[in-house]
Amino acid sequence: MANFFPKWTNQLPWKVAVCVLVLGGAVTAGLTYYFTPKYTRVGYEPTQPVPFQHDLHVQQLGMDCRFCHSFVEVASHSNVPSVQTCMSCHTQVKAESPKLEAVRAAWNGGKGDGPAVNWVRIHKLPDYTYFNHAVHVNRGVSCYSCHGDVNNMKVVYQHQPQSMSWCLDCHRAPENHLRPPSEIYNLNWKAASPHDQREMGLKFKEEWDVNPPVTCGGCHR
Amino acid sequence: MKRVFNHPPMPEKPTMWRSFAELEKSPGFDEVVQREFPRGAGVYEDSGLSKRDFVKLMGASMALAGVGLTGCRRPESYLVPFNRGVEWAIPGKFLYYASAMPIRQGAMPLIVSTVDGRPTKVEGNPLHPYSNGGTDAFTQASVLDLYDPNRLKVVKQGGNEVTVEAFDAFLAETAKSGGQGMAFLVERKNSPTRDRLRAELQAKYPGLIWAEYEPLGDAEAAKATSAVFGQGFRLVPKFDRADIVLALDSEFTSTSDKGVGFASGFYPRRNPDQKGAPMNRLYVVENHYSNTGGLADHRLRCKASDIGEFARQLAEKIAAKSGGSSLAAAIGAAPKSSAQFNEQWVTECAADLVAHAGRALVIVGEQQPAWVQALVLAINDALGAIGTTLTGVATGEIPSASIADLAAAITAGSVKTLFIFGGNPAYNAPADLGFADLLKKVPTVVRLGFFEDETAKLSAWQVPAAHYLESWGDVRTYDGTYTAIQPMILPLWIGVSELEILAQLVGRPKPAGPELVKETFSAAYGTSPEAWNSLLRVGFQPNSQFTEAPLALNAAAAAGLMTGVAAAQAGLELVFLQSSSVDDGRYANNSWLQETPDFETKVTWDNVAMISPATAKRLGVRVNNFTWTDKVADMINPISEENVKNENTFDIVSDIIEIKAGKDVIRAAALVAPGHADDSISLALGYGRTGVSALMEGVGFNAYPLRTSDSPRFRTGVEITVTKDSYPLARTQEAQSMHGRDLFREGTLDRYQGDPKFAQFIGMDSHIPPNISLYTHPQLSKTEAWAMTVDLNTCTGCNACLVACQAENNVPVVGKEQVRKNRDMAWIRMDRYFAGDPEDPEMLPQAVMCQHCENAPCETVCPVNATVHSEDGLNLMAYNRCIGTRYCANNCPWKVRRFNYFDYNERPIHDVKIGPLKAQGIYFGPLTKKGMADSSKMQKNPNVTVRMRGVMEKCTFCIQRIEEAKIGRLVEAGARNKNEVPIHEFKSACQQACPSDSLVFGNKADPNSRVARLHGSDRSYAMLNYLNVTPRVKYLARIKNPNMKMPGADKVGKANGDAHHGAHGDAHAAPHGDAHGAPHGDPHGADAHGAHGVTKPEEAHH
Repeated sequence: MANFFPKWTNQLPWKVAVCVLVLGGAVTAGLTYYFTPKYTRVGYEPTQPVPFQHDLHVQQLGMDCRFCHSFVEVASHSNVPSVQTCMSCHTQVKAESPKLEAVRAAWNGGKGDGPAVNWVRIHKLPDYTYFNHAVHVNRGVSCYSCHGDVNNMKVVYQHQPQSMSWCLDCHRAPENHLRPPSEIYNLNWKAASPHDQREMGLKFKEEWDVNPPVTCGGCHR
Repeated sequence: MKRVFNHPPMPEKPTMWRSFAELEKSPGFDEVVQREFPRGAGVYEDSGLSKRDFVKLMGASMALAGVGLTGCRRPESYLVPFNRGVEWAIPGKFLYYASAMPIRQGAMPLIVSTVDGRPTKVEGNPLHPYSNGGTDAFTQASVLDLYDPNRLKVVKQGGNEVTVEAFDAFLAETAKSGGQGMAFLVERKNSPTRDRLRAELQAKYPGLIWAEYEPLGDAEAAKATSAVFGQGFRLVPKFDRADIVLALDSEFTSTSDKGVGFASGFYPRRNPDQKGAPMNRLYVVENHYSNTGGLADHRLRCKASDIGEFARQLAEKIAAKSGGSSLAAAIGAAPKSSAQFNEQWVTECAADLVAHAGRALVIVGEQQPAWVQALVLAINDALGAIGTTLTGVATGEIPSASIADLAAAITAGSVKTLFIFGGNPAYNAPADLGFADLLKKVPTVVRLGFFEDETAKLSAWQVPAAHYLESWGDVRTYDGTYTAIQPMILPLWIGVSELEILAQLVGRPKPAGPELVKETFSAAYGTSPEAWNSLLRVGFQPNSQFTEAPLALNAAAAAGLMTGVAAAQAGLELVFLQSSSVDDGRYANNSWLQETPDFETKVTWDNVAMISPATAKRLGVRVNNFTWTDKVADMINPISEENVKNENTFDIVSDIIEIKAGKDVIRAAALVAPGHADDSISLALGYGRTGVSALMEGVGFNAYPLRTSDSPRFRTGVEITVTKDSYPLARTQEAQSMHGRDLFREGTLDRYQGDPKFAQFIGMDSHIPPNISLYTHPQLSKTEAWAMTVDLNTCTGCNACLVACQAENNVPVVGKEQVRKNRDMAWIRMDRYFAGDPEDPEMLPQAVMCQHCENAPCETVCPVNATVHSEDGLNLMAYNRCIGTRYCANNCPWKVRRFNYFDYNERPIHDVKIGPLKAQGIYFGPLTKKGMADSSKMQKNPNVTVRMRGVMEKCTFCIQRIEEAKIGRLVEAGARNKNEVPIHEFKSACQQACPSDSLVFGNKADPNSRVARLHGSDRSYAMLNYLNVTPRVKYLARIKNPNMKMPGADKVGKANGDAHHGAHGDAHAAPHGDAHGAPHGDPHGADAHGAHGVTKPEEAHH
């Protein structure tokens, strides 16, 4: 009887095995990368041109978020403060600190014509996603829900994945994040228990008619 | 049971047609309609790659890209705050300022949106007394001019770049020199500050010449007005008072010269439902179809050169009926020609005017000769219009010299230094002056201009002009209201305004801010800071209109204008039109306007010589080459993948004709235009420019060489030769053709009053049982239901909405070659149908945008759920999900979805290689330079995604504005129930731009909203209702108000055929009896369908 299989097929099993291993490895590596927080850059903590410490300014000095991020309540963007804002204090306080070199250079002795401070962007949504800060902070969502405890951060890092499914988790069940309006900017505030948070959240949701969009058009235009 | 809808059969001769090819049922046309995509639409041309090769290559590169995952890392990006906070500026939030755009005879009052210091969009200023909040296409597109990367950016002396200081020094020197031989050639600006500086200048240099020139100006009308009524008067027609309007070669609905306030009184009177005011009647006599002509109840085709004779014959009839002595005197003096008109038309029109004396108005185009103007004024006087429907205001304007006076002075050698502010006389001055040659005789020409154009090249000094959004200024609108022009941004390049130059010439310091304007304002309206602040806040000074002045007709002067004028020559004439895209040529570098189809011909990127069907036949001009070249080409070159690159074989190609007058010859592509007057050729001005920028290169044909100073509107005695050459045109017309379905509906006032709901039961809608759906659709649960209505009664088809949409929604421009492949990206298209006799049809414009169907057919076929519905009824497009299958576009009954084939937004449209073949045919191969000019990026609306290649896009109902309003309400509500706060008022971009208030957008769920009332009105109907897609856009049928005594009155308002009550119902009684749910395809014969009309509701639903 003639050979049904040519000779080269003898080598086939291990070749197949190697291919499967390589492919399997690639798939695993891909999944590990894309499906874990690493891809969404949770923990991304770039070095900033000025080593600004949120913990110092908020926890020790007791400053409100809105002192610097002044337009968060009215605009879609939460602005990074202008150099003028920094210099309103730092012309007197720590006026000579070497850490503030970049800020002083931009300020240029009050003329404001120095090189601008390039803060490295940490939280970046895609261009086709339109997020609005004002509507969130005015309707009971704290900075904390998306940015974490920035008040305790020495260097700011990304705290939440900020992926679309993460957004939708809250848009589908906002009760888990709604707070009393007085505590929006109090990043230390926590409900007594998850149960309390839910109770309170449901109450606010009902009273204020909170009904976040879950259609594409809510964020994509 | 499944209902089968066959589209109604095509009648032998369609009653409503979009092109001659359709009307004549040429095989070529049928083939194009049957072909799912136009040939070439699915081919990646220019690269030599087949689709298969392309996929192979892409696969390989994808695999390569996958090897290194480094490409997945997001690049580092930066947040760069201001060093010093800017007053009022909130990052990402729009700021609105009141300003105005100067136009020929006034201004367009505006609200300018700026974001992060960049003006991105202009809207009309609804507070202004001479604005209804609308704008027009030119105004909308003017923002793009600001960011035009082809603008002149440096000062040049003798062709070499010099500093601004050098120019300032030159001005100082000129100011000291005593002004010997100083002359100015300026555009019309209506600026009180410029007038003041001019007076100062003339006081300083008494010999100076101040000449004004506008190619599309009103010099002839002004000549007549000043002769008949005296110097310094302006005529203001009161359309709101007129029951009968007769327009003689007048496009009074055009807003480009006088602003939106001019005709805004006309539209409410057009509304058949208006309480307390009867619907007006419009007669139009014109040579080509204008927007105004499209609205007409009765339209007479008449050569532009015969308008005078028509007016004379009309005057005779009116004089016979009303017995005005001044009119009789005028008739005696007017020249007589042999032109014949429909006797009954003239008689009945005159009778109607006389019967409505005191409530009638005759208006004539401003470029018609002065004697015609004077004759029409005399007619108005006889009709008692003066003081009632035609009033006058005293402007106190100081007359300027004409360009002919200036030319005479240059010839005499008395002009040493000539300042040219704007304009482009080397290109557009009357041909008989030979202005380009004259410029060479002037020792020093200083040109303040936008581009390095024909005039700049002949000038010693080229100075970049500041855009109106970059400079301080003031202007009086047509009614005289003092209006401020505020800069929105510092000059992007070093633009200088003419006020700055004039100030320096009178020896003042170079102004740094608004001081010149403030000075003018303070002198007239007081020095209080409150007054000034209020001017800047609202944009105008209240109650600053010109004072009304009684008009007294000087009959002798009127007759004097007519005496000795030769009657118009018989034979062919050439009529010079304002281009709907480039005006007189000033917008030639504006790609938005270039790509906006002309409202009548639907030609983009070109102008064409329009000829009537009969004249074309006589001269041997083909309807278009479509009918026979296509057939021949298809025989030689059957449709196959190999020859699809040869686009010219089937596309719309027109004959080139030579137009000869005297010794001057021009060439132009000829297009047969329905409704055009015989023995007349219309050609728009402003095209055919070379050597200025890539965008203008090879676009259209220049008509100026045949235009002379004595007759700005027409040239008689021209000769036509048809050449063997042909010219490809990019028309948006035959693309997306719809078979003879009753998409546009109209009727007469009588019919409407007898059967108010007639429009809802026209065509298929008279036969079908109520729509039922097989599917259950999710409830649209929101308290908002966005919807729109389009009032076809007042829509003139002016294209303002198209350009507004383009500006608001970052809609890209694709270029002529791509338009020829039906890849234009406009989210709104202006369909234009012709109905009736091809020689003398009705013109019906219809704006079509995404209809936001509640049962949207596009959504069911999308494999990736990229197009879905929102609860408030929007048909959404999630661009980031779209994979570009284009199934949705195929399944869309309205064909309003646009596919981005070549990343058009990233193509440097202004930066194309200049060449005879590739102009506008932008090469989109892989080696093309990508990336748009930096300045163009600044115009983009930051709230709308700039879509990329491979993504379907379409009208979103301005979702960014909807979301802005909703968010604004939530922010305001804060920790309250949101329903305590009403949703903020807003308009869609197209609605906001509409000068005739034809588009209404809003929340249909609110019964008090305007859109809800209009949706429920009798005139409203849905297009293709029988498809049961329940569109959210409804159309309000056009109502015509014919005078039954007029010839052809029985054909007015019959675009959908005759209303034949009874007979229709009887004929189909049997099929209807058991029709509900039964196959209901074709119960009616083709003959019945040709004239398919109304059936009364009870007949339709028995």
